[in-house]
Amino acid sequence: MTSDNLEALRREVRDWLRANLPKGWGTPEYVPPTRYSRESHELGKEWTKKMYDAGYTGFNYPKEYGGIERPREEITVIHEEMARTGTPGGPLSLGLLVAAPAILVHGEEWQKKRFIPKILSGEESWCEGFSEPDAGSDLANVQTTAVRDGDDWIVNGQKVWTSMWEFADWGLLVAKTEPDAPRHRNLSYFLFDTTTPGFSRRPLRQMSGEAEFGEMFFDDMRVPHKNMMDEQGRGWYVAMTALMAERSFGGTGFTGGMAAMGGLGTSDLLGTNSLVELAKNTRRYGQSVWEESAFRQRIMQTAIEMEAMRWSGARLAAKMRKGGQIGNEASLLKNFQAEMRQRRGDLTCEILGAYSQMVRGSTRAIDEGDHVYNMLRARGATIEMGTSEINRNIIAERILGLPR
Amino acid sequence: MEFTLSEEQEMLRTMARDFLENECPKTHVREMMEDEVGFSRELWKKMADVGWLGLVFPEEYGGSGMNFRDLTILCEEMGRAVLPGPFLQTVLLVGMPILTAGTEEQKKEYLPKIASGDMVCTLAVLEEDGDFWPDGIQLKAIQRGNDYIINGTKLFVNNARGVDYILVAARTKRAVEPGDGITLFLVDMTEWGTYVSPLATMDQTRQQFEVMFNQVAVPSSNIIGELHKGWPVLKEAALKATAALCAEMVGGGEWVLETTVNYAKERIAFGVPIGSFQVIKHKCADMFSGLEYSRSLMEWAAESIKDDDRDAAMAVSMAKSYCGDTYKMVCDHGVQIHGGIGFTWDHDMHLYFKRARSSDTAFGDAFYHRELLAKAADQ
Repeated sequence: MTSDNLEALRREVRDWLRANLPKGWGTPEYVPPTRYSRESHELGKEWTKKMYDAGYTGFNYPKEYGGIERPREEITVIHEEMARTGTPGGPLSLGLLVAAPAILVHGEEWQKKRFIPKILSGEESWCEGFSEPDAGSDLANVQTTAVRDGDDWIVNGQKVWTSMWEFADWGLLVAKTEPDAPRHRNLSYFLFDTTTPGFSRRPLRQMSGEAEFGEMFFDDMRVPHKNMMDEQGRGWYVAMTALMAERSFGGTGFTGGMAAMGGLGTSDLLGTNSLVELAKNTRRYGQSVWEESAFRQRIMQTAIEMEAMRWSGARLAAKMRKGGQIGNEASLLKNFQAEMRQRRGDLTCEILGAYSQMVRGSTRAIDEGDHVYNMLRARGATIEMGTSEINRNIIAERILGLPR
Repeated sequence: MEFTLSEEQEMLRTMARDFLENECPKTHVREMMEDEVGFSRELWKKMADVGWLGLVFPEEYGGSGMNFRDLTILCEEMGRAVLPGPFLQTVLLVGMPILTAGTEEQKKEYLPKIASGDMVCTLAVLEEDGDFWPDGIQLKAIQRGNDYIINGTKLFVNNARGVDYILVAARTKRAVEPGDGITLFLVDMTEWGTYVSPLATMDQTRQQFEVMFNQVAVPSSNIIGELHKGWPVLKEAALKATAALCAEMVGGGEWVLETTVNYAKERIAFGVPIGSFQVIKHKCADMFSGLEYSRSLMEWAAESIKDDDRDAAMAVSMAKSYCGDTYKMVCDHGVQIHGGIGFTWDHDMHLYFKRARSSDTAFGDAFYHRELLAKAADQ
């Protein structure tokens, strides 16, 4: 790969972006769709399909499953150009994040051929049904059952905290198939069509006020036996693969798309600049907040922690280049990222003082109430994808070898 | 920036660990804590023989021309062993200024001696206010013929007893900018008029002294760098020493983590290993992740210095602040998880606990470095 070729590709991607990004993109006239709305989902779907058809997404999967194979240097150029302009992102789906990695590892050949290409192209969206009202951190305590009936399994039960629940065409599901088998050997893993009779879903409103998550109900829903993934009774292990993939994104997503988690850049003080600006521009008790040593210290601590994360990501990437795998380090990154997000959320609101209370909708709200939203939303960060406590157990037991 | 070690670097680490396990066991550290000099010239000579003292100096001056990241690998191991002695002082705080600002004669004269272990050095900057900044330097040097006469007192001088030379930062002119008018003098400790007395400090693994200079005559040929322009040289050397100290802190912290985790696996309370309790697990997990992030910042700082990156000063401030806070936290947890035995003089935990404190205050503490970063963000 010569640098001339790479430069040609860079120009090609730039031209393509100019021609294909939504009208007005990057200008104040552009109004993005509301978070989690159908409009936002459709935009992401359309965008992913365009990118896939142009050969700009779908990397890291074999060709026979719809993957697009390109040299690493080319992929880097494509990602750099996308990062430069920002892009609309993908559909509201856990397909790329969870379904495709799990199917690739555990799926049968027909499942890989049937499902992965449409995930890569954005045509089909996915959600996952793991948590239940009585099975959160103790995921093995799943109570949803699947009972064999001829060529089908009949599913009954309830799932909660389903991300990307609303527009999913397909779902991943862990259900108890062997009530008498020991823990971790009593579950099986299914892929189900969300148009199946007996399936219903509804929003689950969270403390920030919106319904980012949903609840799913299964009332004698039939799933064909061929849609079981891996062997009967091995559902726990499939679920762990899926969770690990999700968690490592929770921690390492910043390398590819920090934008998704709050618009963090990759240069100088790494997005702390916005915090510094906010403190400089906020006057309280007659002076700028930035003058206050306590705030300066905490803002710089945030900058330090963000750099610590960036370079830990770089170290992991270096390890992977040498052929290593991301394993339990995912817990480390996920916790740090989540806890930092909380500290940052709190700090931002404390900078704003009384004004931090104003939510979206108030004409007096600062930055449309985004800061208070981020602060509230961040409380979920240490609970979802494995609570901070569960992740600390994983670090202690699997990395440090402390007894269970 | 490369975040994985080369085969040679892995070998350097293994060699350093083996060497220090043999030559610097805790019995040696404790002996030196009671010793009035505080480090062993015999061990120093052995360190020179395996090439550590000249590691980063060019071959023409008796060194082996290795890079800064290589040096920090040694420092990690020294921190792990709580090695007593002015290694950072000799190599980075005195050797480096000679290499970067010294005359050709000075380099030829001193660097080979440092590399061979025959010249042990330390740095004297801090005075009564205890802060590492130019305003604190009030000790004066006044010209008299070909000499400068130094008068005044320096505090917190590492290993001042037992060294051959002290690099002294002295004020040679009144200036509007505090950083201006400071000159670096290489003072031969056999000269008349230097008085060294120990400071009773908590971290005896790295002894500190008060040094009084009473009409000490230093030939102007012993000025390192330009007259009045010593502060930038010192700042540059301190940047390197600070990054190296971060490596020491990470190395020490890793010993504390490993020792504590092993203890938690073996110590039985209520019929089970205490490491099976979640409160203990979570503390250990926090120690581990704190050290991982410290390592990331430390390696970034070391690589930035190696590559002469424009972000080096920012990286070092970030690393120093984070490593300092983390090393203290790791030792706090280490003592707490060990319980009563961790609070005794006989257990080695307090050696690290105290090292963490003395290292945090050296070259500006976490608070100071965060403020430095904030000042940079002011612009």
